[in-house]
Amino acid sequence: MKRALVLSALALTAVLSLSACDWLKPKNAEGGAGGAPAGGPPPLPPYQMRAQVNDADRLNPTSDGGALFSNHCGACHLAAGMGTNLLTARQVAAGNKQPVGLLADRKDLTADYVKAVVRNGKGAMPRQTRVDITDAELDKVAAYLGKGK
Amino acid sequence: MKLTLPPGLSPQNFDAAVKALQGAVGADWVMTSDADRDAYADIYAPGPEDVWPASGAVAPHTVEEIQAVVKIANQYKLPLWTVARGKNLGYGTSAPRMPGCMVLDLGRMKTIHTLDAELGYCVIEPGVGFIDLYEEIQRRKLPLMMSVPGNGWGSVLGNALDHGIGYTPYGLHAKNLCGFEVVLGNGDLVRTGLGAMENNHAWNLFPFGYGPTWDLMFSQSNLGVVTKAGMWIMPEPETSLELNLDIPEAEDIGWVIDTLTPLKLGGIIDQSIFIPSWLGKMVIKGQRKDFWDKPGAIPEWRVKELLKQYKLGYWKVQIRVYGDENVNKAKAEVIKAAFRKHIATPMEEVWWRRGDPTNVMDTTLGVPSAIPLQMGDWVGGRAAHLGFSPVIPATGQQVLGQLKRSRKIISDHDVDFYASFTIGGRFCNNVNMLMYDRDNQAQVDNMKKLFNALIADAKANGYGEYRTHLGWMDPVMETYDFQNNALRRMTEKVKDALDPNGILSPGKQGIWPTAYASQRGKALA
Repeated sequence: MKRALVLSALALTAVLSLSACDWLKPKNAEGGAGGAPAGGPPPLPPYQMRAQVNDADRLNPTSDGGALFSNHCGACHLAAGMGTNLLTARQVAAGNKQPVGLLADRKDLTADYVKAVVRNGKGAMPRQTRVDITDAELDKVAAYLGKGK
Repeated sequence: MKLTLPPGLSPQNFDAAVKALQGAVGADWVMTSDADRDAYADIYAPGPEDVWPASGAVAPHTVEEIQAVVKIANQYKLPLWTVARGKNLGYGTSAPRMPGCMVLDLGRMKTIHTLDAELGYCVIEPGVGFIDLYEEIQRRKLPLMMSVPGNGWGSVLGNALDHGIGYTPYGLHAKNLCGFEVVLGNGDLVRTGLGAMENNHAWNLFPFGYGPTWDLMFSQSNLGVVTKAGMWIMPEPETSLELNLDIPEAEDIGWVIDTLTPLKLGGIIDQSIFIPSWLGKMVIKGQRKDFWDKPGAIPEWRVKELLKQYKLGYWKVQIRVYGDENVNKAKAEVIKAAFRKHIATPMEEVWWRRGDPTNVMDTTLGVPSAIPLQMGDWVGGRAAHLGFSPVIPATGQQVLGQLKRSRKIISDHDVDFYASFTIGGRFCNNVNMLMYDRDNQAQVDNMKKLFNALIADAKANGYGEYRTHLGWMDPVMETYDFQNNALRRMTEKVKDALDPNGILSPGKQGIWPTAYASQRGKALA
């Protein structure tokens, strides 16, 4: 039972990652043999481009929190990213029928909690150095994600 | 983590060195709080993190700042430990080999100096990650296809300098490096190869120099700080065809290697061919406890059940050919005919054509991804992994021999067997992934015993690791013992000549400067 839940969580992750459907087309729509068999798991989403930030002074960033989150956390926390997948699976395993793996969609995070996890790490997430993300950048990211009370 | 000073440095001189570094790079880029030291620790350390403690980190932004840092390090005898982005997961992350080193974090050096689609190369700084370079190529819509490793979170140069591997025709990343700019231990700035000439246009295109060619002496090395380097990138092919096949039995790897190696050497298959065992496909399906809830290794009968249930072979062969569509079709026929001699199962064929979408896990199409790191969740807890990685000649006989021996040793230690062989040419990189929960002391102790047994067994049979974790850098260097470790002794003479105070990454890969020779053999795993 648990196994089925975990597996469905991963499939669900892929579905939740859908923001545009054009990539749902089979890879081999035009000619060529092979391709995913009908009825299989949904295809994986495309690579998620991160927002570009060009702050001349990372100690006083002018980029907004959303862009900084996308750039500095996007390697794992955009759609179908490693962190998104694991968070979704964890929430499903905990009995949550409407998991929210994408941090940007969470309503329960507080700014302090975000900062603590970024600096202390949690589960599979390693601690982030101040070169990975400066304190000033983290303040903005925490304010952006911290929609909880 | 509390402050650990490097050998021989007084607290007063450490404080003075930190002040000088702050003056050189700015106070905010010298990081010496307990929290900073934690952030630079090895998150996958086999044992306590404070076996390999940094005293702090310094993050310069320019070559001139690196030179200033090196000058200060010499002045105060403050040893540095250089990392590109510090994501060397499984091999020490960004933690130093010698306790008390100041991490020289080049993560702020993110400039892409050149990105040339006509000749297929770039000149980049160490802080440029696979993700950064990939996105720049996409934004500029350049017809280039990168080669990426399993962990796409890290640095392009850092990975290549540590002899990382990928899975395209450009999979031997260190071979793509061409022309280095390096700060030496005495602060001198040099360029290798044709870059020794001011403004030479072919610096990053011609792989040799005029006279002795030094480039790769700066890989897996503490002989300098690479500040930028040329890196060749494959022109994007018109098409690519993936041929997938599940191989049923563990022992089948012998004929699989003997089938693939001639195709690789004969130019039918250009890529580095990755052949993971079944567990590589299971680890992203869930957690270990979902499939086997007892602490010891998953027994053979259960493995057989899982393979059947999830329709997996013991091995997965995923071959990719790249280039013109008709050429790829012809290559595919040759490959399929070679496999038909051994197995009736037809290969699954998946075409990709330029302009087709790629997905988040298309690593063989050069898409960087961190998803393979999800395997960390397999064992649960504060999960970590180590890779035991000997290099084996690419013949079925040699690969089967290594497989049988390592499989038995791993089984004797009651640990799950998870291996991959990557054919990079005349050899395979055999990575045995060992996953463990860092909070389970018995498991950590068992892993360490297992790792030592694997190193000793490989050495006894004529094989050595191509790369290893901090805690085994000395023992593995010991195994390279021809003429009483003559190569190590030669390298250490060079080390002393170029870096008389031994301040650059002492102990990296078992190369110790005279200044810190007393640390050899200490802080092992």
